[in-house]
Amino acid sequence: MSQSSDPRQPSAARPFKPPAVLPQDLPVDYSGFIAVVFGVAGVMFRYKLSSWLAIIFSVQSFANMKNMENDLKQISMGMMFAIMGLVTNYFGPNRPAPQK
Amino acid sequence: MARPPRPLSSPSRFLSLLFLLSLLIIYLSTASVLADSHFEGFDADEDDEAVDSVDSLHFSSLRSPPVTQSESPPATAKPTLSEDESAASDPTLPRTSEHLATPPDLSKSSSEGFDYWDEDEFEGVPIVEKQQQQPSEPFKATEDVTGPQDSAGHVSAPTKRSYTIEIVCGSFLIIFVINYFTGKRENENIALAWAAKFATKDSILEKNFSLLGVGEGDDSPLLLKEGQNVFKFYASGRRYCQGLLATMELKSRHDLISRIYNMIVPCKDEISFEVYMNDDAMDNVIFAMAKKKAAKGMQKELMDLQRFAGLLPPPGGRKWVAEEFSVIAESKEVAGDMITEAVLDQVFGEKAIEKFGKGFMSMHFSDQHPGTHSKMLLFKFTLPGVNNMADMTRLVALIPYYIDHVGRYKLSPQARSKTEAARTKAAQEAFKELQNARHEALQKRKAERKKLMEEAEAKLSAEALRKKEAKERARQMKKAMPKMKMTRGH
Repeated sequence: MSQSSDPRQPSAARPFKPPAVLPQDLPVDYSGFIAVVFGVAGVMFRYKLSSWLAIIFSVQSFANMKNMENDLKQISMGMMFAIMGLVTNYFGPNRPAPQK
Repeated sequence: MARPPRPLSSPSRFLSLLFLLSLLIIYLSTASVLADSHFEGFDADEDDEAVDSVDSLHFSSLRSPPVTQSESPPATAKPTLSEDESAASDPTLPRTSEHLATPPDLSKSSSEGFDYWDEDEFEGVPIVEKQQQQPSEPFKATEDVTGPQDSAGHVSAPTKRSYTIEIVCGSFLIIFVINYFTGKRENENIALAWAAKFATKDSILEKNFSLLGVGEGDDSPLLLKEGQNVFKFYASGRRYCQGLLATMELKSRHDLISRIYNMIVPCKDEISFEVYMNDDAMDNVIFAMAKKKAAKGMQKELMDLQRFAGLLPPPGGRKWVAEEFSVIAESKEVAGDMITEAVLDQVFGEKAIEKFGKGFMSMHFSDQHPGTHSKMLLFKFTLPGVNNMADMTRLVALIPYYIDHVGRYKLSPQARSKTEAARTKAAQEAFKELQNARHEALQKRKAERKKLMEEAEAKLSAEALRKKEAKERARQMKKAMPKMKMTRGH
Protein backbone atom coordinates (compact mmCIF):
# COMPACT_ATOMS: atom_id res chain seq x y z
CA MET A 1 0.00 0.00 0.00
CA SER A 2 2.55 2.57 -1.04
CA GLN A 3 1.68 5.89 -2.51
CA SER A 4 3.44 7.07 -5.58
CA SER A 5 3.21 10.61 -4.46
CA ASP A 6 2.09 12.52 -1.47
CA PRO A 7 -1.66 12.04 -1.31
CA ARG A 8 -2.17 15.18 0.66
CA GLN A 9 -3.82 18.13 -0.92
CA PRO A 10 -3.70 21.10 1.39
CA SER A 11 -5.73 23.13 -1.05
CA ALA A 12 -8.61 20.75 -0.72
CA ALA A 13 -8.70 20.85 3.04
CA ARG A 14 -11.98 21.91 4.55
CA PRO A 15 -12.28 22.86 8.19
CA PHE A 16 -14.41 20.80 10.47
CA LYS A 17 -18.04 21.69 10.73
CA PRO A 18 -19.88 19.77 13.44
CA PRO A 19 -22.97 18.21 11.95
CA ALA A 20 -26.08 19.92 13.26
CA VAL A 21 -28.43 17.64 15.13
CA LEU A 22 -32.07 18.56 15.36
CA PRO A 23 -33.48 18.46 18.88
CA GLN A 24 -36.02 15.85 17.89
CA ASP A 25 -33.38 13.52 16.55
CA LEU A 26 -31.58 13.27 19.84
CA PRO A 27 -31.61 9.87 21.49
CA VAL A 28 -34.27 9.57 24.14
CA ASP A 29 -33.05 10.33 27.62
CA TYR A 30 -34.41 7.26 29.34
CA SER A 31 -32.78 7.80 32.68
CA GLY A 32 -34.12 11.32 32.94
CA PHE A 33 -37.60 10.09 32.19
CA ILE A 34 -37.34 7.32 34.76
CA ALA A 35 -36.03 9.83 37.27
CA VAL A 36 -39.10 11.99 36.80
CA VAL A 37 -41.41 8.97 37.10
CA PHE A 38 -39.79 7.82 40.32
CA GLY A 39 -39.72 11.33 41.71
CA VAL A 40 -43.41 11.85 41.13
CA ALA A 41 -44.18 8.43 42.58
CA GLY A 42 -42.08 9.18 45.62
CA VAL A 43 -43.86 12.43 46.25
CA MET A 44 -47.33 11.04 45.71
CA PHE A 45 -47.01 7.81 47.61
CA ARG A 46 -44.54 9.05 50.20
CA TYR A 47 -42.24 6.21 49.35
CA LYS A 48 -38.68 6.98 50.36
CA LEU A 49 -37.03 4.39 48.17
CA SER A 50 -38.70 5.90 45.15
CA SER A 51 -37.27 9.32 45.93
CA TRP A 52 -33.82 7.89 46.36
CA LEU A 53 -34.04 6.03 43.08
CA ALA A 54 -35.19 9.23 41.44
CA ILE A 55 -32.05 10.94 42.69
CA ILE A 56 -29.86 8.11 41.44
CA PHE A 57 -31.39 8.16 37.99
CA SER A 58 -31.24 11.91 37.70
CA VAL A 59 -27.55 11.73 38.60
CA GLN A 60 -27.10 9.13 35.88
CA SER A 61 -28.91 11.34 33.41
CA PHE A 62 -26.65 14.22 34.40
CA ALA A 63 -23.58 12.07 33.90
CA ASN A 64 -24.73 11.10 30.42
CA MET A 65 -25.44 14.63 29.37
CA LYS A 66 -23.90 15.26 25.99
CA ASN A 67 -24.78 18.79 25.16
CA MET A 68 -24.64 21.25 27.99
CA GLU A 69 -27.15 23.75 26.67
CA ASN A 70 -29.81 21.50 25.24
CA ASP A 71 -30.09 18.84 27.87
CA LEU A 72 -29.59 20.83 31.02
CA LYS A 73 -33.20 21.99 31.24
CA GLN A 74 -34.71 18.55 31.07
CA ILE A 75 -32.23 17.06 33.44
CA SER A 76 -32.62 19.80 35.98
CA MET A 77 -36.37 19.31 35.82
CA GLY A 78 -35.92 15.66 36.67
CA MET A 79 -33.53 16.54 39.43
CA MET A 80 -35.93 19.05 40.91
CA PHE A 81 -38.63 16.42 41.05
CA ALA A 82 -36.37 13.97 42.76
CA ILE A 83 -35.08 16.43 45.32
CA MET A 84 -38.56 17.68 46.00
CA GLY A 85 -39.62 14.12 46.57
CA LEU A 86 -36.87 13.53 49.06
CA VAL A 87 -37.55 16.76 50.91
CA THR A 88 -41.25 16.01 51.12
CA ASN A 89 -40.55 12.56 52.37
CA TYR A 90 -38.15 13.62 55.01
CA PHE A 91 -39.23 17.05 56.06
CA GLY A 92 -42.92 16.75 55.38
CA PRO A 93 -45.51 17.36 58.06
CA ASN A 94 -46.09 13.71 58.79
CA ARG A 95 -42.70 12.24 59.01
CA PRO A 96 -39.90 14.42 60.20
CA ALA A 97 -36.76 12.40 60.28
CA PRO A 98 -33.67 12.83 62.35
CA GLN A 99 -31.32 12.19 59.52
CA LYS A 100 -30.83 14.30 56.44
CA MET B 1 -45.91 21.17 90.04
CA ALA B 2 -48.22 20.33 87.30
CA ARG B 3 -47.37 21.71 84.01
CA PRO B 4 -50.30 23.50 82.42
CA PRO B 5 -51.38 21.62 79.37
CA ARG B 6 -50.71 23.51 76.25
CA PRO B 7 -53.47 24.31 73.83
CA LEU B 8 -52.81 22.84 70.40
CA SER B 9 -52.90 25.98 68.36
CA SER B 10 -51.49 25.81 64.85
CA PRO B 11 -49.01 28.67 65.05
CA SER B 12 -47.53 27.21 68.14
CA ARG B 13 -47.48 23.82 66.50
CA PHE B 14 -45.66 25.16 63.51
CA LEU B 15 -43.24 27.03 65.70
CA SER B 16 -42.59 23.97 67.73
CA LEU B 17 -41.99 21.98 64.61
CA LEU B 18 -39.44 24.45 63.38
CA PHE B 19 -37.86 24.53 66.73
CA LEU B 20 -37.72 20.78 66.83
CA LEU B 21 -36.20 20.64 63.42
CA SER B 22 -33.37 22.94 64.28
CA LEU B 23 -32.79 21.08 67.46
CA LEU B 24 -32.63 17.79 65.69
CA ILE B 25 -29.95 19.16 63.46
CA ILE B 26 -27.98 20.32 66.42
CA TYR B 27 -28.42 16.96 68.08
CA LEU B 28 -27.07 15.20 65.09
CA SER B 29 -23.99 17.29 64.92
CA THR B 30 -23.06 17.37 68.54
CA ALA B 31 -24.79 14.27 69.88
CA SER B 32 -25.53 16.07 73.06
CA VAL B 33 -28.82 16.83 74.67
CA LEU B 34 -30.28 20.15 75.52
CA ALA B 35 -32.84 19.06 77.94
CA ASP B 36 -35.14 21.91 78.59
CA SER B 37 -35.54 23.27 75.13
CA HIS B 38 -36.22 19.85 73.77
CA PHE B 39 -39.23 19.35 75.90
CA GLU B 40 -40.90 22.59 75.06
CA GLY B 41 -41.88 21.27 71.73
CA PHE B 42 -43.24 18.09 73.11
CA ASP B 43 -46.80 18.69 72.20
CA ALA B 44 -48.45 16.78 69.48
CA ASP B 45 -48.16 13.39 67.99
CA GLU B 46 -45.73 14.31 65.30
CA ASP B 47 -43.26 15.62 67.77
CA ASP B 48 -43.58 12.45 69.67
CA GLU B 49 -42.25 10.30 66.94
CA ALA B 50 -39.30 12.54 66.34
CA VAL B 51 -38.56 12.75 69.97
CA ASP B 52 -38.68 9.03 70.30
CA SER B 53 -36.37 8.50 67.43
CA VAL B 54 -33.95 11.09 68.65
CA ASP B 55 -34.05 9.61 72.05
CA SER B 56 -33.40 6.22 70.67
CA LEU B 57 -30.39 7.71 68.92
CA HIS B 58 -29.14 9.03 72.16
CA PHE B 59 -29.90 5.95 74.07
CA SER B 60 -27.72 3.89 71.88
CA SER B 61 -24.87 6.31 71.97
CA LEU B 62 -25.17 6.67 75.68
CA ARG B 63 -25.69 3.04 76.23
CA SER B 64 -22.32 2.17 77.64
CA PRO B 65 -22.32 4.34 80.73
CA PRO B 66 -23.95 2.29 83.44
CA VAL B 67 -27.41 3.01 84.37
CA THR B 68 -26.73 3.70 87.98
CA GLN B 69 -25.21 7.08 87.26
CA SER B 70 -28.36 8.85 88.11
CA GLU B 71 -26.63 11.86 89.56
CA SER B 72 -25.47 13.05 86.22
CA PRO B 73 -24.91 16.70 85.37
CA PRO B 74 -27.74 18.34 83.54
CA ALA B 75 -26.04 18.22 80.21
CA THR B 76 -26.15 14.48 79.84
CA ALA B 77 -29.09 12.24 80.19
CA LYS B 78 -29.05 8.88 81.77
CA PRO B 79 -31.89 6.54 82.15
CA THR B 80 -32.66 5.53 85.66
CA LEU B 81 -34.34 2.36 86.33
CA SER B 82 -34.65 2.48 90.04
CA GLU B 83 -36.82 5.48 90.34
CA ASP B 84 -40.29 6.25 89.77
CA GLU B 85 -43.49 5.03 88.63
CA SER B 86 -44.45 2.28 86.40
CA ALA B 87 -47.07 4.38 84.83
CA ALA B 88 -45.50 3.92 81.48
CA SER B 89 -43.56 0.87 82.40
CA ASP B 90 -45.32 -1.58 80.21
CA PRO B 91 -43.19 -1.72 77.09
CA THR B 92 -45.97 -3.02 74.94
CA LEU B 93 -48.11 0.04 75.48
CA PRO B 94 -48.88 1.76 72.21
CA ARG B 95 -47.22 5.03 71.65
CA THR B 96 -50.21 7.18 72.40
CA SER B 97 -50.63 5.87 75.86
CA GLU B 98 -46.97 6.46 76.41
CA HIS B 99 -47.49 9.92 75.25
CA LEU B 100 -50.39 10.36 77.58
CA ALA B 101 -48.42 9.02 80.44
CA THR B 102 -45.58 11.37 79.96
CA PRO B 103 -47.22 14.61 81.04
CA PRO B 104 -47.74 13.09 84.43
CA ASP B 105 -44.16 11.93 84.21
CA LEU B 106 -43.16 15.41 83.38
CA SER B 107 -45.03 16.77 86.30
CA LYS B 108 -43.51 14.18 88.52
CA SER B 109 -40.08 14.79 87.20
CA SER B 110 -40.33 18.48 87.70
CA SER B 111 -41.73 17.88 91.09
CA GLU B 112 -38.75 15.74 91.90
CA GLY B 113 -36.44 18.39 90.65
CA PHE B 114 -35.28 16.30 87.69
CA ASP B 115 -35.29 18.28 84.52
CA TYR B 116 -34.04 15.41 82.46
CA TRP B 117 -36.68 14.54 79.99
CA ASP B 118 -35.55 11.17 78.93
CA GLU B 119 -35.18 9.61 82.30
CA ASP B 120 -38.81 9.85 83.05
CA GLU B 121 -40.26 9.58 79.66
CA PHE B 122 -38.91 6.19 78.90
CA GLU B 123 -39.22 5.00 82.38
CA GLY B 124 -40.30 1.44 82.24
CA VAL B 125 -39.16 1.05 78.69
CA PRO B 126 -35.43 1.33 79.09
CA ILE B 127 -35.31 -2.13 80.58
CA VAL B 128 -36.49 -3.66 77.40
CA GLU B 129 -34.69 -1.24 75.23
CA LYS B 130 -31.43 -1.61 77.04
CA GLN B 131 -31.49 -5.34 76.62
CA GLN B 132 -32.31 -4.89 73.01
CA GLN B 133 -29.70 -2.31 72.32
CA GLN B 134 -26.74 -3.52 74.25
CA PRO B 135 -26.10 -6.54 72.08
CA SER B 136 -26.30 -4.47 68.95
CA GLU B 137 -23.64 -1.98 69.71
CA PRO B 138 -22.90 0.73 67.18
CA PHE B 139 -25.94 2.52 66.01
CA LYS B 140 -24.68 2.99 62.54
CA ALA B 141 -25.05 -0.69 61.75
CA THR B 142 -28.29 -1.34 59.95
CA GLU B 143 -30.73 -2.76 62.38
CA ASP B 144 -32.80 -5.41 60.74
CA VAL B 145 -34.20 -6.29 64.12
CA THR B 146 -36.06 -3.06 64.35
CA GLY B 147 -36.82 -3.12 60.64
CA PRO B 148 -39.86 -5.32 60.95
CA GLN B 149 -40.88 -3.33 63.95
CA ASP B 150 -40.78 -0.16 61.94
CA SER B 151 -42.56 -1.62 59.00
CA ALA B 152 -45.30 -2.93 61.23
CA GLY B 153 -46.01 0.70 61.98
CA HIS B 154 -46.49 -0.06 65.62
CA VAL B 155 -43.54 0.30 67.84
CA SER B 156 -43.31 -1.23 71.19
CA ALA B 157 -39.94 0.18 72.12
CA PRO B 158 -38.82 3.64 71.08
CA THR B 159 -38.07 3.17 67.44
CA LYS B 160 -34.65 2.45 66.21
CA ARG B 161 -35.20 3.68 62.71
CA SER B 162 -33.60 1.48 60.18
CA TYR B 163 -31.50 3.51 57.82
CA THR B 164 -30.98 0.73 55.31
CA ILE B 165 -32.39 2.61 52.40
CA GLU B 166 -30.46 5.76 53.14
CA ILE B 167 -27.21 3.96 53.64
CA VAL B 168 -27.56 1.79 50.57
CA CYS B 169 -28.61 4.63 48.32
CA GLY B 170 -26.09 7.02 49.76
CA SER B 171 -23.24 4.60 49.28
CA PHE B 172 -24.44 3.85 45.76
CA LEU B 173 -24.36 7.54 44.99
CA ILE B 174 -20.86 7.88 46.41
CA ILE B 175 -19.64 4.92 44.38
CA PHE B 176 -21.37 6.39 41.34
CA VAL B 177 -19.54 9.66 41.70
CA ILE B 178 -16.20 7.95 42.17
CA ASN B 179 -16.85 5.73 39.19
CA TYR B 180 -17.79 8.74 37.10
CA PHE B 181 -14.36 10.24 37.47
CA THR B 182 -12.42 7.04 37.04
CA GLY B 183 -14.49 5.96 34.05
CA LYS B 184 -14.15 9.36 32.47
CA ARG B 185 -10.40 9.19 32.77
CA GLU B 186 -10.27 5.66 31.38
CA ASN B 187 -12.25 6.66 28.32
CA GLU B 188 -10.10 9.70 27.77
CA ASN B 189 -7.00 7.57 27.99
CA ILE B 190 -8.29 5.18 25.36
CA ALA B 191 -9.15 8.03 23.01
CA LEU B 192 -5.82 9.71 23.54
CA ALA B 193 -3.96 6.46 23.02
CA TRP B 194 -5.68 5.99 19.69
CA ALA B 195 -4.94 9.54 18.65
CA ALA B 196 -1.35 9.20 19.74
CA LYS B 197 -0.91 6.14 17.63
CA PHE B 198 -2.75 7.21 14.50
CA ALA B 199 -3.11 10.95 14.41
CA THR B 200 0.05 12.50 15.72
CA LYS B 201 3.24 13.26 13.88
CA ASP B 202 4.51 10.62 11.45
CA SER B 203 1.44 8.53 11.82
CA ILE B 204 -0.50 7.08 8.99
CA LEU B 205 -3.29 9.61 9.06
CA GLU B 206 -0.89 12.46 9.36
CA LYS B 207 0.89 11.25 6.26
CA ASN B 208 -2.36 11.13 4.35
CA PHE B 209 -4.20 14.25 5.33
CA SER B 210 -2.98 17.79 5.50
CA LEU B 211 -5.46 19.10 8.03
CA LEU B 212 -5.92 17.12 11.22
CA GLY B 213 -8.13 18.02 14.12
CA VAL B 214 -11.36 19.77 14.83
CA GLY B 215 -10.30 23.33 15.28
CA GLU B 216 -8.85 26.03 13.11
CA GLY B 217 -5.26 26.41 12.15
CA ASP B 218 -2.19 24.49 13.03
CA ASP B 219 -2.60 24.03 16.71
CA SER B 220 -6.12 22.68 16.69
CA PRO B 221 -7.12 20.00 19.15
CA LEU B 222 -7.21 16.59 17.57
CA LEU B 223 -10.20 15.15 19.35
CA LEU B 224 -13.63 16.55 20.04
CA LYS B 225 -15.28 15.22 23.15
CA GLU B 226 -19.00 14.93 22.69
CA GLY B 227 -19.95 13.30 25.92
CA GLN B 228 -17.97 11.18 28.28
CA ASN B 229 -17.85 8.24 25.90
CA VAL B 230 -18.04 9.78 22.42
CA PHE B 231 -14.97 11.28 20.76
CA LYS B 232 -14.62 12.66 17.27
CA PHE B 233 -11.58 13.09 15.08
CA TYR B 234 -11.52 14.96 11.78
CA ALA B 235 -9.03 15.02 8.98
CA SER B 236 -9.13 16.73 5.63
CA GLY B 237 -6.99 17.64 2.67
CA ARG B 238 -6.48 14.63 0.48
CA ARG B 239 -7.09 13.70 -3.07
CA TYR B 240 -10.39 12.06 -3.97
CA CYS B 241 -12.09 12.94 -0.73
CA GLN B 242 -13.32 15.95 1.14
CA GLY B 243 -12.59 14.69 4.59
CA LEU B 244 -12.67 11.93 7.11
CA LEU B 245 -14.60 11.87 10.35
CA ALA B 246 -13.78 9.20 12.92
CA THR B 247 -16.21 8.69 15.78
CA MET B 248 -15.15 6.67 18.79
CA GLU B 249 -18.04 5.28 20.79
CA LEU B 250 -16.66 3.78 23.93
CA LYS B 251 -18.38 1.84 26.63
CA SER B 252 -20.11 4.04 29.19
CA ARG B 253 -17.47 3.51 31.82
CA HIS B 254 -18.44 6.72 33.56
CA ASP B 255 -21.97 5.57 34.28
CA LEU B 256 -22.22 2.94 36.97
CA ILE B 257 -25.62 1.69 35.94
CA SER B 258 -24.52 1.24 32.33
CA ARG B 259 -21.41 -0.48 33.51
CA ILE B 260 -23.42 -3.00 35.49
CA TYR B 261 -25.72 -3.47 32.51
CA ASN B 262 -22.74 -4.07 30.25
CA MET B 263 -21.59 -6.85 32.48
CA ILE B 264 -24.76 -8.68 31.57
CA VAL B 265 -25.10 -7.54 27.97
CA PRO B 266 -21.60 -7.32 26.53
CA CYS B 267 -20.58 -4.25 24.66
CA LYS B 268 -17.46 -3.15 22.80
CA ASP B 269 -15.53 0.00 22.15
CA GLU B 270 -16.15 0.96 18.54
CA ILE B 271 -14.63 3.37 16.11
CA SER B 272 -16.37 4.28 12.88
CA PHE B 273 -14.87 6.20 9.99
CA GLU B 274 -16.83 8.23 7.47
CA VAL B 275 -14.99 9.32 4.36
CA TYR B 276 -16.72 11.94 2.25
CA MET B 277 -15.77 11.25 -1.34
CA ASN B 278 -15.61 13.88 -4.01
CA ASP B 279 -18.42 13.88 -6.53
CA ASP B 280 -16.15 13.17 -9.42
CA ALA B 281 -14.04 10.63 -7.59
CA MET B 282 -16.53 7.85 -7.01
CA ASP B 283 -18.23 5.77 -9.64
CA ASN B 284 -21.49 3.92 -9.12
CA VAL B 285 -20.34 1.55 -6.46
CA ILE B 286 -22.51 0.02 -3.79
CA PHE B 287 -20.64 -2.50 -1.76
CA ALA B 288 -20.65 -3.75 1.79
CA MET B 289 -18.92 -6.44 3.76
CA ALA B 290 -19.47 -7.57 7.33
CA LYS B 291 -19.73 -10.61 9.52
CA LYS B 292 -22.52 -12.89 8.44
CA LYS B 293 -25.25 -11.90 10.86
CA ALA B 294 -24.43 -8.23 10.75
CA ALA B 295 -24.42 -8.32 6.98
CA LYS B 296 -27.92 -9.69 6.87
CA GLY B 297 -29.09 -6.96 9.19
CA MET B 298 -27.38 -4.31 7.12
CA GLN B 299 -28.94 -5.54 3.93
CA LYS B 300 -32.38 -5.31 5.43
CA GLU B 301 -32.03 -2.00 7.20
CA LEU B 302 -29.92 0.25 5.03
CA MET B 303 -31.90 1.80 2.22
CA ASP B 304 -29.29 1.83 -0.46
CA LEU B 305 -28.21 -1.74 0.14
CA GLN B 306 -31.79 -2.86 0.18
CA ARG B 307 -32.67 -1.17 -3.04
CA PHE B 308 -29.63 -1.74 -5.20
CA ALA B 309 -27.62 -4.63 -3.84
CA GLY B 310 -28.01 -8.14 -2.56
CA LEU B 311 -26.10 -10.74 -0.62
CA LEU B 312 -23.59 -12.44 -2.84
CA PRO B 313 -22.48 -16.01 -2.43
CA PRO B 314 -18.73 -16.48 -2.38
CA PRO B 315 -17.56 -17.09 -5.91
CA GLY B 316 -15.70 -20.26 -6.55
CA GLY B 317 -12.38 -20.33 -8.26
CA ARG B 318 -10.73 -17.36 -6.73
CA LYS B 319 -9.38 -16.23 -3.45
CA TRP B 320 -12.05 -14.77 -1.30
CA VAL B 321 -12.60 -13.38 2.14
CA ALA B 322 -12.68 -15.62 5.17
CA GLU B 323 -15.75 -17.69 5.91
CA GLU B 324 -17.10 -15.53 8.64
CA PHE B 325 -17.71 -12.55 6.35
CA SER B 326 -20.35 -12.07 3.73
CA VAL B 327 -20.39 -9.58 0.91
CA ILE B 328 -23.23 -7.41 -0.35
CA ALA B 329 -22.87 -5.83 -3.76
CA GLU B 330 -24.72 -5.04 -6.95
CA SER B 331 -22.80 -7.51 -9.03
CA LYS B 332 -20.08 -10.06 -8.64
CA GLU B 333 -17.82 -7.97 -10.76
CA VAL B 334 -17.98 -4.99 -8.48
CA ALA B 335 -17.48 -7.21 -5.49
CA GLY B 336 -14.47 -8.83 -7.04
CA ASP B 337 -13.00 -5.47 -7.92
CA MET B 338 -13.39 -4.19 -4.41
CA ILE B 339 -11.83 -7.19 -2.74
CA THR B 340 -8.39 -7.03 -4.18
CA GLU B 341 -5.52 -9.37 -3.76
CA ALA B 342 -3.62 -7.00 -1.60
CA VAL B 343 -6.48 -6.63 0.79
CA LEU B 344 -6.99 -10.35 0.98
CA ASP B 345 -3.40 -10.99 1.72
CA GLN B 346 -3.06 -8.32 4.27
CA VAL B 347 -6.29 -8.35 6.17
CA PHE B 348 -9.19 -10.43 5.01
CA GLY B 349 -7.76 -13.64 3.73
CA GLU B 350 -7.88 -16.85 5.64
CA LYS B 351 -4.43 -16.51 7.05
CA ALA B 352 -4.39 -12.84 7.76
CA ILE B 353 -7.77 -12.64 9.41
CA GLU B 354 -6.60 -14.23 12.62
CA LYS B 355 -3.79 -11.85 13.22
CA PHE B 356 -4.94 -8.60 11.79
CA GLY B 357 -8.59 -8.72 10.99
CA LYS B 358 -9.99 -9.44 14.42
CA GLY B 359 -11.17 -5.93 15.01
CA PHE B 360 -12.99 -5.56 11.71
CA MET B 361 -16.72 -5.07 11.98
CA SER B 362 -18.02 -3.77 8.68
CA MET B 363 -17.31 -1.62 5.68
CA HIS B 364 -19.79 0.00 3.37
CA PHE B 365 -19.15 1.99 0.19
CA SER B 366 -22.05 3.78 -1.32
CA ASP B 367 -22.72 6.54 -3.76
CA GLN B 368 -26.39 6.68 -2.89
CA HIS B 369 -26.02 7.09 0.80
CA PRO B 370 -29.12 8.57 2.43
CA GLY B 371 -28.33 11.71 4.33
CA THR B 372 -26.50 14.90 3.66
CA HIS B 373 -23.62 13.48 1.66
CA SER B 374 -24.26 10.84 -0.99
CA LYS B 375 -20.85 9.43 -1.81
CA MET B 376 -19.36 7.90 1.27
CA LEU B 377 -17.10 5.15 2.52
CA LEU B 378 -17.95 3.83 5.96
CA PHE B 379 -15.73 1.63 8.08
CA LYS B 380 -16.40 0.21 11.50
CA PHE B 381 -13.79 -1.43 13.70
CA THR B 382 -13.62 -2.42 17.33
CA LEU B 383 -11.07 -0.61 19.38
CA PRO B 384 -8.43 -2.69 21.08
CA GLY B 385 -7.32 -1.95 24.59
CA VAL B 386 -5.26 1.02 25.65
CA ASN B 387 -1.98 -0.80 25.32
CA ASN B 388 -2.81 -2.69 22.13
CA MET B 389 -3.51 0.15 19.76
CA ALA B 390 -0.92 -1.16 17.35
CA ASP B 391 -3.15 -4.13 16.54
CA MET B 392 -5.33 -1.85 14.52
CA THR B 393 -2.62 -0.59 12.21
CA ARG B 394 -3.56 -2.67 9.20
CA LEU B 395 -7.20 -1.87 9.62
CA VAL B 396 -6.54 1.83 9.69
CA ALA B 397 -4.24 1.39 6.72
CA LEU B 398 -7.23 0.06 4.78
CA ILE B 399 -8.76 3.49 4.78
CA PRO B 400 -6.30 5.43 2.63
CA TYR B 401 -5.90 2.37 0.47
CA TYR B 402 -9.58 2.24 -0.27
CA ILE B 403 -9.87 5.97 -0.74
CA ASP B 404 -7.35 5.73 -3.52
CA HIS B 405 -8.79 2.51 -4.86
CA VAL B 406 -12.37 3.73 -5.08
CA GLY B 407 -11.23 7.12 -6.24
CA ARG B 408 -9.45 5.62 -9.22
CA TYR B 409 -11.94 2.88 -9.93
CA LYS B 410 -13.95 2.95 -13.11
CA LEU B 411 -16.73 0.52 -13.85
CA SER B 412 -16.74 -1.52 -17.00
CA PRO B 413 -19.34 -0.40 -19.56
CA GLN B 414 -21.75 -3.28 -18.99
CA ALA B 415 -21.68 -2.93 -15.27
CA ARG B 416 -22.08 0.78 -15.59
CA SER B 417 -25.14 0.51 -17.78
CA LYS B 418 -26.80 -1.81 -15.31
CA THR B 419 -26.10 0.42 -12.40
CA GLU B 420 -27.17 3.51 -14.29
CA ALA B 421 -30.53 1.98 -15.05
CA ALA B 422 -31.17 1.13 -11.45
CA ARG B 423 -30.12 4.55 -10.30
CA THR B 424 -32.19 6.52 -12.74
CA LYS B 425 -35.22 4.56 -11.72
CA ALA B 426 -34.52 5.31 -8.09
CA ALA B 427 -33.96 8.97 -8.86
CA GLN B 428 -37.29 9.19 -10.67
CA GLU B 429 -39.09 7.58 -7.79
CA ALA B 430 -37.47 9.99 -5.40
CA PHE B 431 -38.51 12.90 -7.56
CA LYS B 432 -42.09 11.69 -7.68
CA GLU B 433 -42.09 11.31 -3.93
CA LEU B 434 -40.91 14.87 -3.58
CA GLN B 435 -43.62 16.12 -5.87
CA ASN B 436 -46.27 14.23 -4.00
CA ALA B 437 -45.07 15.59 -0.75
CA ARG B 438 -45.13 19.14 -2.07
CA HIS B 439 -48.62 18.64 -3.49
CA GLU B 440 -49.87 17.30 -0.20
CA ALA B 441 -48.38 20.18 1.69
CA LEU B 442 -50.11 22.61 -0.64
CA GLN B 443 -53.43 20.84 -0.22
CA LYS B 444 -53.05 20.92 3.51
CA ARG B 445 -52.37 24.62 3.48
CA LYS B 446 -55.44 25.27 1.33
CA ALA B 447 -57.62 23.21 3.63
CA GLU B 448 -56.33 25.06 6.63
CA ARG B 449 -57.00 28.40 5.03
CA LYS B 450 -60.53 27.28 4.20
CA LYS B 451 -61.10 26.20 7.75
CA LEU B 452 -59.93 29.52 9.06
CA MET B 453 -62.21 31.35 6.71
CA GLU B 454 -65.18 29.25 7.75
CA GLU B 455 -64.47 29.82 11.39
CA ALA B 456 -64.23 33.52 10.84
CA GLU B 457 -67.47 33.44 8.92
CA ALA B 458 -69.24 31.56 11.67
CA LYS B 459 -68.29 34.26 14.11
CA LEU B 460 -69.74 37.03 12.06
CA SER B 461 -73.35 38.03 12.41
CA ALA B 462 -75.97 37.26 9.83
CA GLU B 463 -75.80 40.64 8.16
CA ALA B 464 -72.12 40.54 7.72
CA LEU B 465 -72.55 37.04 6.35
CA ARG B 466 -74.91 38.23 3.74
CA LYS B 467 -72.54 40.99 2.80
CA LYS B 468 -69.73 38.54 2.50
CA GLU B 469 -71.73 36.20 0.37
CA ALA B 470 -72.57 39.02 -1.93
CA LYS B 471 -68.94 39.93 -2.19
CA GLU B 472 -68.01 36.31 -2.92
CA ARG B 473 -70.57 36.13 -5.65
CA ALA B 474 -69.31 39.30 -7.19
CA ARG B 475 -65.80 38.01 -7.11
CA GLN B 476 -66.82 34.77 -8.74
CA MET B 477 -68.66 36.63 -11.42
CA LYS B 478 -65.64 38.68 -12.08
CA LYS B 479 -63.55 35.59 -12.41
CA ALA B 480 -65.97 34.11 -14.83
CA MET B 481 -66.38 37.29 -16.78
CA PRO B 482 -63.04 37.64 -18.55
CA LYS B 483 -63.44 34.18 -20.02
CA MET B 484 -66.68 35.13 -21.60
CA LYS B 485 -65.20 38.31 -22.88
CA MET B 486 -62.39 36.48 -24.48
CA THR B 487 -64.59 34.06 -26.28
CA ARG B 488 -66.69 36.86 -27.57
CA GLY B 489 -63.65 38.55 -28.89
CA HIS B 490 -62.86 35.53 -30.93
